[in-house]
Amino acid sequence: MDELLRDFIVETNQHLEEAATQLVLFERNPTDASLIAKIFRLVHTIKGTCSFLGLMRLQHIAHAAETMIGELRNGAAPTQTSVTVVLAAIDRIKQIVEAVEATGIEPEGDDADMITQLDAQAEMLAASLRGEVVSDAPVAAPAPAVEAVVEAPQAAPAAATVPEVVATPPSAPTVKAPPANAAKTAGGANARNSETIRVAVDAIERMMQLVSELVLTRNQLLELTRHRQDDAVKSPLQRLSSLTTDLQDAVMRARMQPVERLYANLPRLVRELATECGKKIDLVTEGADTELDRQLIEILRDPLTHMIRNSADHGLESPAERAAAGKPEAGEIRVSASHEAGQITITIADDGRGLDVEKIKKKLVSNGAATEQELGKLSEDEIFKFIFAPGFSTAKQVTNVSGRGVGMDVVRSNIESIGGSISMQSKLGRGTKFSMRIPLTLAIAPALIVEASGLRFALPQHAVVEAVGVGQNSGHVIDKVQNALVLRLREEVVPVIDMSQVLGLDQSARQSGEQLVVIMRVGGESFGVIVDKVADVQEVVVKPLSASLAHLKVFTGHTILGDGSVVLILDPGGLAMSIGIEKSGDKKREVKKDNLGADKMRLVLFRAGPGVVKVLPVSLIARIEMVEPGRIEHADGRLTMIHQDRLMPLVPVGSTSFDPTRSYPVLVITDGDLTVGLLVDEIVDIIEETLDVQLSSGGYETIGAAVVRGQAVEFIDVTSYLQSVSSSVTRQPARDTGRRQVLLVHNDAFAREFLAPMLSSAGYRVMAAASAKEALQVIDQGSHVDAVVTSTDLAEMTGNELASAVRRTPSAREVPVIGLVGTDDTHDEADSDTLTLRVQAGDRQSLLAGLSAAFKAMQRAEKRSASKSKNEAAA
Amino acid sequence: MTSAAQALPSQRSVSEDINTLTVVANGEVFGLPIQMVQTIFRISSLSPVPLGPPDVAGLVNLRGKIVTAVSLRRRLKMDNDVVEPNALAIGIEHKGEYFCLVVDSVGEVLSLDEGKRIPIPPHFDPERLRLTTEFYRAGTVLIPVLDVNALFEFGR
Repeated sequence: MDELLRDFIVETNQHLEEAATQLVLFERNPTDASLIAKIFRLVHTIKGTCSFLGLMRLQHIAHAAETMIGELRNGAAPTQTSVTVVLAAIDRIKQIVEAVEATGIEPEGDDADMITQLDAQAEMLAASLRGEVVSDAPVAAPAPAVEAVVEAPQAAPAAATVPEVVATPPSAPTVKAPPANAAKTAGGANARNSETIRVAVDAIERMMQLVSELVLTRNQLLELTRHRQDDAVKSPLQRLSSLTTDLQDAVMRARMQPVERLYANLPRLVRELATECGKKIDLVTEGADTELDRQLIEILRDPLTHMIRNSADHGLESPAERAAAGKPEAGEIRVSASHEAGQITITIADDGRGLDVEKIKKKLVSNGAATEQELGKLSEDEIFKFIFAPGFSTAKQVTNVSGRGVGMDVVRSNIESIGGSISMQSKLGRGTKFSMRIPLTLAIAPALIVEASGLRFALPQHAVVEAVGVGQNSGHVIDKVQNALVLRLREEVVPVIDMSQVLGLDQSARQSGEQLVVIMRVGGESFGVIVDKVADVQEVVVKPLSASLAHLKVFTGHTILGDGSVVLILDPGGLAMSIGIEKSGDKKREVKKDNLGADKMRLVLFRAGPGVVKVLPVSLIARIEMVEPGRIEHADGRLTMIHQDRLMPLVPVGSTSFDPTRSYPVLVITDGDLTVGLLVDEIVDIIEETLDVQLSSGGYETIGAAVVRGQAVEFIDVTSYLQSVSSSVTRQPARDTGRRQVLLVHNDAFAREFLAPMLSSAGYRVMAAASAKEALQVIDQGSHVDAVVTSTDLAEMTGNELASAVRRTPSAREVPVIGLVGTDDTHDEADSDTLTLRVQAGDRQSLLAGLSAAFKAMQRAEKRSASKSKNEAAA
Repeated sequence: MTSAAQALPSQRSVSEDINTLTVVANGEVFGLPIQMVQTIFRISSLSPVPLGPPDVAGLVNLRGKIVTAVSLRRRLKMDNDVVEPNALAIGIEHKGEYFCLVVDSVGEVLSLDEGKRIPIPPHFDPERLRLTTEFYRAGTVLIPVLDVNALFEFGR
């Protein structure tokens, strides 16, 4: 393409952008003669260049636009319509310029419609100048209906000949910039125009590269002369060094552009949105001179547009609603940019209706993203986070502008892809504010240089939360729970991966001793990465991986460090994926559902052998005794002691090794006639907490792993210990119950606390419900329930009624319901009984026997129906 | 294997002489089309790429450019070569990426003409044939010419 033509395109695009902004500002402030003069000059320049290059279509449109704007310059009052027509003309010019850019020649086409409109407007403005149209409003002018111009251009001339006089424009979107800021913007633009030259991006990239090499050479020189005491060399080298740093800085800055470029389209966007939504909107922009890497500006454009659309469409109320709420009629959208600690913060705030937490909750429940119980536990801020989830929208109806629920998730992923983050605050009735934090540049990012098995890697700092030391001398310990590593950090349990393992490194080069865990956060999930050490923090120049290595998901790129060595840059998202963090989010939610209504219970935490702390509910323990060395005896390979005048077998928990010279705490467990003492190393604590068994174990002696007060613990299985001391116990073994799910319904918290651990120690999974209503809710929500154990005198209904209600749910039609009969229950046994079985409330043995019998009956029935269907299939 | 690789011999038959740089790996001599060779340098330090293709020895900083180093020995399945610092490497640009081929030593530039080209013996290792375009006689030795396209394509 002709070089002149290319220059023209770049220049014209810039002029057009500027003209559009000035026009909207002008419409707001029609008395500002300097603004209209500027617009006139811009259009005039476009016209001049077009005729010089022989672009006839463009020239004609520009000429017509110039004539019309000329009338404005002569003092005619602008109308809504005249601004719309000029904007439409500028759009047309843009389209043609784009076509020229793509093909090198002006496309065929007819612009008579546009030119007629412009001419009609010019004529009208000129007439109004001559005072031919008398109107009682100062900024009123004959204006055809806006729709006629926008949607049916060919009809416009006709409409223009029959002008209707309107007192006020249909809706008055306004654009407001703080006066000082506006002046600065305009002045700044001027100053830049006179002092800038256009440089190809390639040239700057080349300079960047050369500077990088210069830095490396400088570093080598410094390394060479470090041990010499030659002052003649030292001082010029110092100078060279600092100059190099300055040069690097200067070249970086050359890539920077003011955020103003991002703001340029906003006034027009807001103006259009205001018309579309029938609202009055003031746009305020701040910090236009904040500088940002040019690449980032392009990436941010779409997310910003999207958020402003959101604010205009569902953030701000209609003028009537606003007036009713005692707010000014015009809503405000404030976009501001500022530079903070090596990052740019861009906020988009509106003073609209704010987010309604209850509405979001309802939406979440109705589309199944969460249950009410789950949401009840979350804070407002946590609930707001759901708007960043895919497919979320609270808009009542889909409008042209927004509400399709495609959006905030895309915005978030866009922002995160450039190492930024987005957050939201909202006050009902007061407004909503989105804040984006963005790195200054993509090319350079601060990174932690970490070492693993002798190799160095860069970890982008934007994902790093903190680094904590682990090992004997530090307070933090890494536990191995079911072959997975977890770190207890304050109140949290953080999944941990070993970098050397993930990367498959040769671990022989690994130094033993202190290690570090770098805690990272990706998309709201935390995880830790074990490294040998953090060697350095450096600003690294990110270079993308070559195509032959691009398939490695754990790396995003590579970089050259100050000492000239190449290191790979780890991708925090890729690392998170390598331990399946994305998946675990869902899993956790599921587990939570199963534990609905879990109540707090008193728990004994104790240590036994190596490994994590173990836990047992207090209710299962008859007493805890400290046993002196002499009292424990070996009798035919077993440990025993005298307890309340009887011989009690002792079983070491875990692999507690028995040392006959020290004293041990013993947890005494009784079940009917059977008593056993559990020998443990030490009692850690007795606390009141919810026991949330998260990982069920297939292992003997433990039911599963749980998190208690941020600690990973193992919930031990008492039944297995009871069995180990008595082969005569005819109890259904825990594993044979197939972990049946029992729903326990009781109004009395004490009874629940007493029964739940008893049932779970018998190998059942237990959900507790405090009322019949809660129980039915659990079943309605589709939680799987194998049996229900209920007290027969619930506050709301009797056991019989509950049983009937439960069986009304199709999935629970066959569920056995066992009633616990109180001592003062006067139920007449002769009544038609829907309960499967009644047992006395205190009779644990009968309850367990009853449950196991019911399940056996169920199994038989299942087998029968299975073989029956098999027979039918065979027949 | 690729159409580009197949197109090469026919292109070359037009020109009279083919200049190749001879390189040595594990005592064997190979030819590299000279027009592909950009620079010959010694690797000062090498950063391994965990989880990367096994033939990639690592990444090298060549005057500010990050270059993917491929060991010729590993590529030809000769041995599991460990690239030592100071190893000799040949810089080659391939499809806009910078690579270097780590070799034991570099010989001379040979001018090979069409008359010395021989048909590929049928019993040669197909794995190696995949990486070579043609064979030439040069005095007493047989020189396989390496296919740069195939050398730097890793099956993913």
